[in-house]
Amino acid sequence: MSMVQSLPTNAQAAPAKPRPRVRLLPYLLSLPALLICVAILVPFVTAAVYSLQRYRLNLPYLRGFIGAGNYIDFLSDPAFWNTFQVSITYTVLTVVVELLLGLGIALLLRRPTRFHNAVSIMLLLPLMTAPAIAALMWKLMTNPSFGILSYMVSLFGVTDFKWASDPSSALFTVVLVDVWVYTPFIMILLLAGLRSLPRQPFEAAALDGVPASFVFFRITLPMLAPYIITASLFRLLDSIQQFDIIYAMTQGGPGDRLMVFQVQAYLEFFQYTNVGRSAALLMILWLITNILSNIFIKNWLRLRERAHGHA
Amino acid sequence: MEHSSLAGRIFRGIALTLILIFFMFPIVWIFMMSFQNNDQILRIPPRILFEPTLANYEALISGQLRTAAGSLQMPFMRNLFNSVVLSSAAVLLALLLGVPAAYAFARFKFRLGETIAFTLLSFRFAPPLLVLLPLSLYYQELGLSDTYFGIVWVYQLIALPLILWIVRGYFEDISPDIEHAYRLAGHSWREAFTRIAVPLAGPGIAAAGLLSFIFCWNNFVFALILASADKQPVTVGALAFVTASGIQYGQIAAAIVLSVTPTLLLALYAQRYLVEGLSLGAVKG
Amino acid sequence: MARLEISSVSKAFGATRPADGLSLAVEPGEIVAVFGPSGSGKTVLLRMIAGMFEPDSGDITVGGRSIVGAPPERRGIGMAFQNFALFPHMTARDNIASGLRASGSDVANRVAAISKLLKIEHVLGHAPRELSNGQKQRTALARALIGNPDVLLLDDPLRNVDAKLRYEMRLELPNLLRRGTAAVLYVTQDYREAMAIADRIAVLIDGRLVQVATPADIYAQPASVAIARLFGDPTINLAEVSPVAEHGMLTTDVAGARMRLGAADGLAFPGACWLGVRPEDLVVSSASADDAIPARILAITPMHEKAVLLLRLADGTEWLAALPPDAPQGVADDSVFVRFAPDAAMLFDRATGLRIGQTHRLKAA
Repeated sequence: MSMVQSLPTNAQAAPAKPRPRVRLLPYLLSLPALLICVAILVPFVTAAVYSLQRYRLNLPYLRGFIGAGNYIDFLSDPAFWNTFQVSITYTVLTVVVELLLGLGIALLLRRPTRFHNAVSIMLLLPLMTAPAIAALMWKLMTNPSFGILSYMVSLFGVTDFKWASDPSSALFTVVLVDVWVYTPFIMILLLAGLRSLPRQPFEAAALDGVPASFVFFRITLPMLAPYIITASLFRLLDSIQQFDIIYAMTQGGPGDRLMVFQVQAYLEFFQYTNVGRSAALLMILWLITNILSNIFIKNWLRLRERAHGHA
Repeated sequence: MEHSSLAGRIFRGIALTLILIFFMFPIVWIFMMSFQNNDQILRIPPRILFEPTLANYEALISGQLRTAAGSLQMPFMRNLFNSVVLSSAAVLLALLLGVPAAYAFARFKFRLGETIAFTLLSFRFAPPLLVLLPLSLYYQELGLSDTYFGIVWVYQLIALPLILWIVRGYFEDISPDIEHAYRLAGHSWREAFTRIAVPLAGPGIAAAGLLSFIFCWNNFVFALILASADKQPVTVGALAFVTASGIQYGQIAAAIVLSVTPTLLLALYAQRYLVEGLSLGAVKG
Repeated sequence: MARLEISSVSKAFGATRPADGLSLAVEPGEIVAVFGPSGSGKTVLLRMIAGMFEPDSGDITVGGRSIVGAPPERRGIGMAFQNFALFPHMTARDNIASGLRASGSDVANRVAAISKLLKIEHVLGHAPRELSNGQKQRTALARALIGNPDVLLLDDPLRNVDAKLRYEMRLELPNLLRRGTAAVLYVTQDYREAMAIADRIAVLIDGRLVQVATPADIYAQPASVAIARLFGDPTINLAEVSPVAEHGMLTTDVAGARMRLGAADGLAFPGACWLGVRPEDLVVSSASADDAIPARILAITPMHEKAVLLLRLADGTEWLAALPPDAPQGVADDSVFVRFAPDAAMLFDRATGLRIGQTHRLKAA
């Protein structure tokens, strides 16, 4: 060893003393979370690969790479466009109804009296019911021979209203169940938002005798907007992927009336064993939700930061 | 706003009554139905007052269901047992893994932590089937499908992100000085974690645990795809009741009541935690 | 018995450098106050010693052994925090006892002894939220003291307690801290607290230690105009001057009066300077003199131990004078004459802010 080579080593040894033990610790602790990420990402990548293949479980010898073949097939496939249209309709209907209803209830329960709090707790119960079980409950209630709802409409002279079994009322029925389960979610978020709003603008408006409609549209709504956007995006993302309620209620039927993305993908996989098509369908759904959720996450992180800032 | 007119108050009263009826009636009606025999259920018009029977519950507990065509084996208690085992094991595992990870995310600002947290949050909104369908093929190859072990691991996809995000917020709210003080008093970081951080984040950990228990219990699609009859939880098991023909309606209602009672009781017990947890900490991180 | 020694410690967070080559030694049993304006790096210094983060360069030793890289629990350090940092889920007793690794009757005895010393025996069973701020701080001090640490760090411990208690504690603390043989670093933003409690004061400005000296020396011989302004209430009077040497004496013109500023010390012409005179070194009288600055009283503020006069000098500069309460003060709008003794005058270089004259001697110390 020459002197020249040993010099830099000496210079390095002098000042800094790192602490490798502590630096490693956070990585060690987050290892399980990392594994879960891998457990999500590996199937996800697999699905992406499947979506580019001709892959049917019952015809394994046909398996092969077909590029965007599955996707291109969708363009001319009425079944796909039906799925697309049903999913969007279902999402828009549920989110709009739940938002309006949830906002209305939140406004009614705004003052934190004991009665209002009791009501808001009771409204938690539908939300805590498994959506699949909720669908069964409504299935019993709409049963043609003994369902209480069928009986009630018959009192109004509608004797053969078939609820989820009739193509013309099936969408209405599952939307009703979705509204029953998830409106409380919007209500709870908006109620928390309403109750956290500063009082001064409302007190000032009351002193100035500003009309109630002006207060609602010009003060309440704008201040509540971040909560409304967060809650609706949350619901939008869940609703476009709805599976439990629709599968438990009608399995996508009658016919293909309620064939939303995930139900269609499930049937493609298990009924038609067409893995490639199923994966492509889910990738399209993922693309839609990914765009929406990116908007959502940005919004949510901002709201979270603001809530922290106030505290 | 405080002093509203009489008409306003009447309107509010009616609106609240209608809302309560809409949201509560299904639960009440199914509950009543579960104590009725077939004749009482099929009576038109339906009656509010009836003589309750426990026969439906007895049939469920014995596993011998009465149908139009005679007796049918339906081990619903097995489903209930599965729900308890799967949900409890999943939540315990998620707490064991998730609480230390949440602590790491909250205390050490490191890039991998942010990436993991963000990935988990992103996939909170991805279609579950996208992950589940390929996973079911992997599971078959690994021999994990239709095992409690395998299903509990998949439930981590529900429970772990929830626990990470909620508990992390609670850890962030604890002043780091409190932990520093404990360490300077001669305790290792492990002791500071178990004796200071975890007890102080207790309410958050409880909220996250309860909420993920409810979500695991209520999950349908995971078990539908990965579990066969003897590993299925109530959500999937109850569906078989409706599709199997001729089962007495009261027994279906009783099965529904047994399926939802645990989560509804938990929800009532822990309602003040749930509101926070539900929004994933959106309102108060 | 262990000496705390900080040698050329530096730390940067992005563009800010809260520690820039800090060196300081604290002897066992000595109390050194780290004093400086907020954001000067006081807390960062304490936290590096406590092991909450590590210095980028330099070394910290306790009893000759480097503690850099050691986990906080193995550094032999007790610390009291500004926000108390009590464990909210433990009683005051358990908070104090947490500083002892042992258990049994010995713990009980030591907790009893330290809480008696700090007069909190009656609240030992209470949870932190049931304590007043004063009791919280005493509990936190007891927790820091009970383990007889080699080094005791106090991070502005009286910041969050009320004025009366702060006054009491200022009297009590020096005795309490000198009980053991710990090397004590006491961070504060209050110069009076630093002067009352510490054996030496280390003045920290922008991550650098600009002067380390006894309280009396810092007050009488501040190393720079910035330090002179940090110590003293009312603050030191300043005037822009250009002194010249005459017969071995520096003199200068202040608002039309010829003032003598003490021995020239070999300086023929110091250049543009700040002249600094402490308010209590001013003598105000109605009699004119050659070496008296004509002024007008603008306002008089009586305080219990002194009276403070706001003066306008002939050239418009405003100065403050602090007089004993029984001295004749005059009334507002009086014309008066202000004098000061030559050795009360301090000169600072206007370009660097450093003290001229004795400064070079002080810096060597």
